[in-house]
Amino acid sequence: MRDFAFHSPATLTEAFELLDQHGDDARLIAGGTAVVLLMKQALLQPDHLISLDRVDALRGMQLADGELHIGALTRHREVETSELVREHASLLAEVYGQVASVRIRNAATVGGGLAHADPAQDPPAALIALGARVRLDSRESTREVPVDELFRDYYEAAIEPGEILAEVIVPVPDPNSRSVYLKFLPRTQDDYATIAVAVNGTTEGGLCHSVRVALVAAGPTPVRATEVERHLVGQAITVDTIRSAAEAVADQVDPLDDFRGSATYKRDMAVVFTRRALAQVFEVDIS
Amino acid sequence: MTSLEPIGVAGPRIDGVAKVTGEAKYAVDQSLSGMLFGRLLHSSRPHARIVRLDTSAAAAFPGVHAVITSADVGDHLYGRRIKDMPVLARDLVRYVGERIAAVAADSEEIARRAVDLIEVEYEDLPSVFSIDDALADSAPILHPDYGTYPGSHPLDAPSNCYFEHTINRGDIESAFAEADLVVENTFETARVHQAYLEPHASLVHLDRGRVHVWTNTKAPQAIRDVLAFTADISRDDIVLHRSTIGGDFGGKGTPLNLPICYFLARAAGQPVRMVADYIEEFGAGSPRHATLVHLKTGVMNDGTLVAHHVRFLVNSGAYAAYKPNGVIGGAPRAAGPYRVANSRIEARHVYTNTVPGGHMRSPGSPQAVFALESQLDEIARRLDIDPLRFRLHNLVEDGDDTAWGEQFEHVRLKETLESAAEAAGYDSPKAPFIGRGIAIGDHGAGGGIGNAEVVLHPGGSIVLGTAIFDQGTGTYTTLQQVVAGQFRVPTDRVSIEVWDTDGTDNDSGIGGSRGTRVNTTAAYEAAQDARRALIALVAERFDQPEDQIEFETDEVRIPGRDPIRWPDLLTEIEEPVTGRVHIEERSPARITGFVAQIAEVAAAPETGKVDVLRFTTAHDVGRVLNPVGHQGQINGGVVQGIGYSLMEELQVEDGRVTTLSFGDFKIPVATDLPPLQTVLVESEHGVGPYRIKGIGETPNTPVAAAIANAVCDAVGVRIFNLPITSEKVHHALHQREN
Amino acid sequence: MRITVNGTTHELDVPASRTLAELLRTDLDLTGTKESCAVGVCGACTVLVAGRIVASCITLAAQAADANIVTVEGLASEDRLHPLQQSFIDHGGFQCGICTPGQLVAAKALLDQNSTPTEDDIREWMSGNLCRCTGYYQIVESIAAAAAAAVLGD
Repeated sequence: MRDFAFHSPATLTEAFELLDQHGDDARLIAGGTAVVLLMKQALLQPDHLISLDRVDALRGMQLADGELHIGALTRHREVETSELVREHASLLAEVYGQVASVRIRNAATVGGGLAHADPAQDPPAALIALGARVRLDSRESTREVPVDELFRDYYEAAIEPGEILAEVIVPVPDPNSRSVYLKFLPRTQDDYATIAVAVNGTTEGGLCHSVRVALVAAGPTPVRATEVERHLVGQAITVDTIRSAAEAVADQVDPLDDFRGSATYKRDMAVVFTRRALAQVFEVDIS
Repeated sequence: MTSLEPIGVAGPRIDGVAKVTGEAKYAVDQSLSGMLFGRLLHSSRPHARIVRLDTSAAAAFPGVHAVITSADVGDHLYGRRIKDMPVLARDLVRYVGERIAAVAADSEEIARRAVDLIEVEYEDLPSVFSIDDALADSAPILHPDYGTYPGSHPLDAPSNCYFEHTINRGDIESAFAEADLVVENTFETARVHQAYLEPHASLVHLDRGRVHVWTNTKAPQAIRDVLAFTADISRDDIVLHRSTIGGDFGGKGTPLNLPICYFLARAAGQPVRMVADYIEEFGAGSPRHATLVHLKTGVMNDGTLVAHHVRFLVNSGAYAAYKPNGVIGGAPRAAGPYRVANSRIEARHVYTNTVPGGHMRSPGSPQAVFALESQLDEIARRLDIDPLRFRLHNLVEDGDDTAWGEQFEHVRLKETLESAAEAAGYDSPKAPFIGRGIAIGDHGAGGGIGNAEVVLHPGGSIVLGTAIFDQGTGTYTTLQQVVAGQFRVPTDRVSIEVWDTDGTDNDSGIGGSRGTRVNTTAAYEAAQDARRALIALVAERFDQPEDQIEFETDEVRIPGRDPIRWPDLLTEIEEPVTGRVHIEERSPARITGFVAQIAEVAAAPETGKVDVLRFTTAHDVGRVLNPVGHQGQINGGVVQGIGYSLMEELQVEDGRVTTLSFGDFKIPVATDLPPLQTVLVESEHGVGPYRIKGIGETPNTPVAAAIANAVCDAVGVRIFNLPITSEKVHHALHQREN
Repeated sequence: MRITVNGTTHELDVPASRTLAELLRTDLDLTGTKESCAVGVCGACTVLVAGRIVASCITLAAQAADANIVTVEGLASEDRLHPLQQSFIDHGGFQCGICTPGQLVAAKALLDQNSTPTEDDIREWMSGNLCRCTGYYQIVESIAAAAAAAVLGD
């Protein structure tokens, strides 16, 4: 690959300074599994790489005020194996553990993955289903963005120049809620999903009290299936309401024809797997 | 029948330590100081005239030592049998990926950037990608000068069909007319890549009149011939040094970039190394051919096959050059080991503007067997006869003619099929959406030329010299066992010396299941020759008749004397004893190895997803020389078959391969696999002194049909084209509903 | 930059664009680690960095600066093979051997963090390492045998 200058700042302040100094010629790198690959393929040719690896402020996971704070540099593998995450938001641990292989999960970071905005990757499904948000820091300010508003287009996150994704904040789900992630891998276990669905929901008195439905590998960005949610919230949980709610996902996804399936097939499977996920979460037998 | 030849116990792989410690050197690991890096410019058009090619900017780029085009590579067309391929494209390109120019530079990065600076202007010509389009009257003729190519057969009229062969037996028209049922189907198979994990690599160094080559080939003599021919140099000037080969599966018998690498090294005046990346491998390699197989079969209500018509159409791609015989076999496999009195087997090879096909594990067979075994299953269902019984009713036995007129000896098909069925629990009850499917296949042990030399050294070491470059199948270990057995010594007393190509003139190398038949026989014969030479030496020295001399392990027994140790004798005379052999095995083997497989699958109606729950593979083997290695071949072959059945496909759009990485071209991983049960039907019958049968090319061939048949058994739909994806099953189920 | 590989520390001056795989294979002449798919999928380039397996072909050498790297060349001790290496030899865990270095390093990482893996655990962990020759069955067997032998104190 083309040569470049590699910077390794120790603090966020230094990182902001470097970003400011080099502007468009610079690119942030965390684990590098996406960035290095793109550079090898000459799809990315920055003159400066700013590694965040030494910025300890971006590390660590803690529970505070009923929310899990996960530093951007946390590796996928750390989320997967964390006792803290498994206890309070097990869906996250499960989904982070489904990404690629152990090798990739040992390097890829939570922040890097979200910034890369690959619409087929698994974590956004869980994050959206749990109502997570990210904190974006710049030199002067900080803002929070819900994960379901973070993605603009294929490989394009709504992160402004000069901003660094600093942490992911996940409200600890209601202990009475149930969640599930279904990843459809018809071809081989070592693949991106043909379609994948995450659902988190609670019931009260036989009615759907809350539900969040998110899909990945479903279009140019991860999708929060608000129509599906609308069909269910406040409704009685029955085979029929689940089936009709799942049907609503067909218009919410916009999948691509690719090696994992045609757009039509993926759309059909979105309905199937949304239905299955809802059935599992709300414990309804739809067979 | 004589007792079986003694054979050493299989020891650990002779190359084992080097491979597990990382010391083994593969072609991709070879380097020389001062070495340059070569990269290629590939055509982006499927069929076009090159109207302008300007390499000046590339040549001027700092760090570039040479840029070559067709003007710099001599004027030979080359090919293993049919010489139809230019080393670098001249005024015409015939497929996306065809090699147009090459750059040698100080680094890979510089070479890549220089390639980007080469300017090409194309004038598109009409192109054809499918067999049907290439055979249409309006199709452009891709090789109008076909008749001038060395190795080609004359055509009656210009055509993209460059090869046609028909075998006729009996009278199929009458037989079809009299049949109770005639079933006609068309099957289609996709191109797949061998997916060896070591890409093609060549390192060429011109040094004082000799051309030193390191490349990953298992056919070093053939490659040396091709290089000599294209470079207009003497074979004797070329030395191919041995490297460990990182997987082959048929794909590394073709020279691919070696001639280009040579010309780059010559132009640059420094060694040049070219390592293909997988964009090149997948996009411009030498994959397994896509085929169309039309089958028409006539049968009586009692299940007897009476007529069978095969039209086996091979999409050759843009050139025939990569195919060792210019064409691939396989057509007879679409008739298979069945008794049918009337048959016609037609094979046709067709040029198209797509990546040229090459050899891959049992070329032509998986395609043909997929078609045949699916067809037979279909027929059995229509007749309401169980597919197992239907096959048993029609299998050939000793002395029966196959549809292509061959006869087999010691046929153990029935036993093999029945043991597969028993092991798989074929008749046991099944839950809904679970299915079982059968498929059978056969593959003879290949022929060819083999060379070996056994040297007994003073002090007692025994060295087997061989010309073959093992591509990973463990051949060396087997040969070691053979020689050890002949001298009644422990296997580790025998070491292997692999000759570089100076060692022998003519050797077929590994492939075509030759390893067992030809090379084992060669090692055996060389050992026999060394034994004879040793006995002759002793007879002369002690003035005794040869037939009175025996030896056991290291001891030679001479009448009227104390036994002597030959290692000591040789030390005393300071001379080794050598046995050498060159064999040419040309005849088709009448003893062939059969395989019967049963797949048990779950097919999910809602999604079409197919899960292989378990897989049984039964092999009719002669004697198994190396159980661990033998099982390894079976395992690897079955898994390649599973990949071929369910997930592998080089997708092609407008002639361009779009699956260009292992991220898109998927092969099975460890979590994709069903439990595998192997049944070995051992017998005393095999080929050569060890009565063995080839195993390398049988386990992968029937897998796709077994799975397709199991899917049909599970959910009642049949998929006629590979791979069997969940989407195809889903679609077929929906079609049936409507 | 400074990097420690198989216990030996090196001071190297390499461009930032050097990947870890390139550094190992060309700057340190440790060709045991292979580069195959070049996109981080096949696992042939697997090495341990700070005790964790990574794809060295998509890791910059700079990212591994100051870290401890272990490659296949670092598995055996002075006088004997690592039990995994011996087990692969005994159980047919390789044929052509090109994927073997990556398989061994990945397997070592598995046994380091789980000394009694089930067969499913092994398959799951090793699903990131492609092999085209063996069909995986004997690789899984080799790893299971090595784990069992370790438990028995062989």
